[in-house]
Amino acid sequence: MTGRNMDKIIEAIDKAIDKAGVERQKISLVTDIAYSPEVVDFLGADLFHTSRGRAIPYATGMKLANPKLKPVVLIGDIATLGGNHLVHSCRRNMDMVVICVNDYIYRQVAGEKAPVDAATVSSYSPYSTFEKPLNIPHMARSCGCVNVSRWTALHGGELTDSISAGLQRMGLSLIDVITSTPDLLEFYHSHSEVKNDEDTLNVQIEESKKIIVGNFYSAQRDSFIEAYNKQHSKVLGDDFVKIEVE
Amino acid sequence: MKADPRDVLTGTYYIDGDVAIAYGALAAGCKFLGGYPITPSTAAAEAFARKAPQVGARFIQIEDELGSIASVLGASWGGQKSMTITSGPGFSLMMENIGHGAATETPFVIINVQRGGPSTGVPTSTGQADMMQARWGSNGDYEVIALAPDSPQEGFDFTIKAFNLAERYRVPVMVMADECIGHMTEKVVIPEASEIDIEPRRFFKGKKENYKPFKRDKSLVPPMAKAGDGYKMYITGLTHGENGHPLLNKKKLPDLDSAEVIDKKSTNRYLVEKIIKNKEEIIELGEENLEDADIIVVSYGIISRVAYRAVELARKDGLKVGILRLITVWPFPDEKITELAERVKGFVVAEVNYGQIAFEVDRCSRGKTNVTLVPHGGASVHDPDDIYRAIKEAAAEKKRYKGLREYTTSMELSVFGESLEEKYSK
Repeated sequence: MTGRNMDKIIEAIDKAIDKAGVERQKISLVTDIAYSPEVVDFLGADLFHTSRGRAIPYATGMKLANPKLKPVVLIGDIATLGGNHLVHSCRRNMDMVVICVNDYIYRQVAGEKAPVDAATVSSYSPYSTFEKPLNIPHMARSCGCVNVSRWTALHGGELTDSISAGLQRMGLSLIDVITSTPDLLEFYHSHSEVKNDEDTLNVQIEESKKIIVGNFYSAQRDSFIEAYNKQHSKVLGDDFVKIEVE
Repeated sequence: MKADPRDVLTGTYYIDGDVAIAYGALAAGCKFLGGYPITPSTAAAEAFARKAPQVGARFIQIEDELGSIASVLGASWGGQKSMTITSGPGFSLMMENIGHGAATETPFVIINVQRGGPSTGVPTSTGQADMMQARWGSNGDYEVIALAPDSPQEGFDFTIKAFNLAERYRVPVMVMADECIGHMTEKVVIPEASEIDIEPRRFFKGKKENYKPFKRDKSLVPPMAKAGDGYKMYITGLTHGENGHPLLNKKKLPDLDSAEVIDKKSTNRYLVEKIIKNKEEIIELGEENLEDADIIVVSYGIISRVAYRAVELARKDGLKVGILRLITVWPFPDEKITELAERVKGFVVAEVNYGQIAFEVDRCSRGKTNVTLVPHGGASVHDPDDIYRAIKEAAAEKKRYKGLREYTTSMELSVFGESLEEKYSK
């Protein structure tokens, strides 16, 4: 976990909770890889380590069952296993913060390539990769996500702000976080360029080009629960039992 | 605890099994259904979707079955009774998280309205070939509970029963219905809420700091907490100890090797024990004329109704035929079968597959009696005459044959033109 500089992301979540003024115990961390149980004590929140790739729908069910929760979903750069869920959660706009922990490699397995990799030699691609890497912010944006940003794990303040904004607003926020081993992360950080409001089409990560970070898109759209309440009230009137969020 | 009147649609209905299942779920207090449509189970989710917003329950169509089952686990930890509804191919996709549910001792219900298989199979026709998958379809060691209704009324009743068992044992419970039951329209009586017993979730009552999600008392079933209440839970599908923290990190446990860690520290053993040790309480059987039976017909689900006709015919011939109906299929009634095997001439097992439960009956018979399988390839049910003739043959059999014998049905004969025995002896 230290290899991925997860502590930086957990720290940012910690600060963002305070900044957003959210009750700590209402935060529910839903992940698809294992984290140290110490994270639970540090953040004062529950943690659910689900099966690979299924953290988003797990959090979706949890939020609908208990609408007072604020799920923070941590997925690996595994828009492969859970790709379909990412697509539909953006469309659905369920209230949650999805942090895509993007370290370009399946570090907790044995260093295989990830779908965001460009030209990487890995244990599963010993002669380098040749597939086009996935542009996660653009994928999210094109699937209807209205809050899209990307930072490296060393952009502590900006990352905190993005998570904090996500916790305060209704709907889904997707934050693509570039991280890695400490030395590589320094490299990524120094080779990044902040471009807020940049068209997500232009933020593809490419070899020997700068990593574009920033708050790419932010707009207002009814969250799933808001839309659910509106539509059912319209059709069912007084027969509808509303979902109370607060 | 009694059901909430708001959730119970008291009345006498003429509905199909799928709809009855949905009404049963609502009556049981199910507040979350995450599903993905698949024939022949869709009518159940449709009925739930219509009623849910009026009773404070939530229905969501998730993008696929992998997500559906994950949402059900999440909803359960969110504090609500939750379920999904599917059929064979969807059931296959759900296996990973059924294992996760068993490992994290998450209560939820899965309705499998079985259809012909394998694979996509016959979407609009029946089957009973997911029975073994229901037991151990996910990786690793665990036990679940599976029930087999044989009518729309039982679709209603057994769904409530399934929720009650799920909460009592913190385990995934499967209602193994089939297309016949799902699509069969019959009279269904939904009683007053005051007549329906509901098992409430057993929440931890002590100090929050002392809560350990997998610490159990004599009942072997640990009390639950729900997300957001400040228990600081760590819930994982990794092998864990009673505090939920993952084990097998040798660096942290230098004095133990990994086998010892599993034996001494993990809660794995209890995933099996809590079901097996409570078998007597869980298992429910339909029994008829077992006392003086020569032949016992074993069946479950829709086939218990088909077999009934065969038993009637056999009794007219003066044969002593008993009926053993598996209402609970998993855990399996090993002891009951073994006890009966001591004193009967044979078991006749009829099921819509080429032998799943029949092997269990044979295993538990321990060579003490003959076991005849009356198979069926799916997409329909047996001709009762086939089961009747199998009973007659079993009753007339003088030899003790070793192992399971397959009866050649009229269907097999019409397809292959000869019995399997003849076919393969050439």
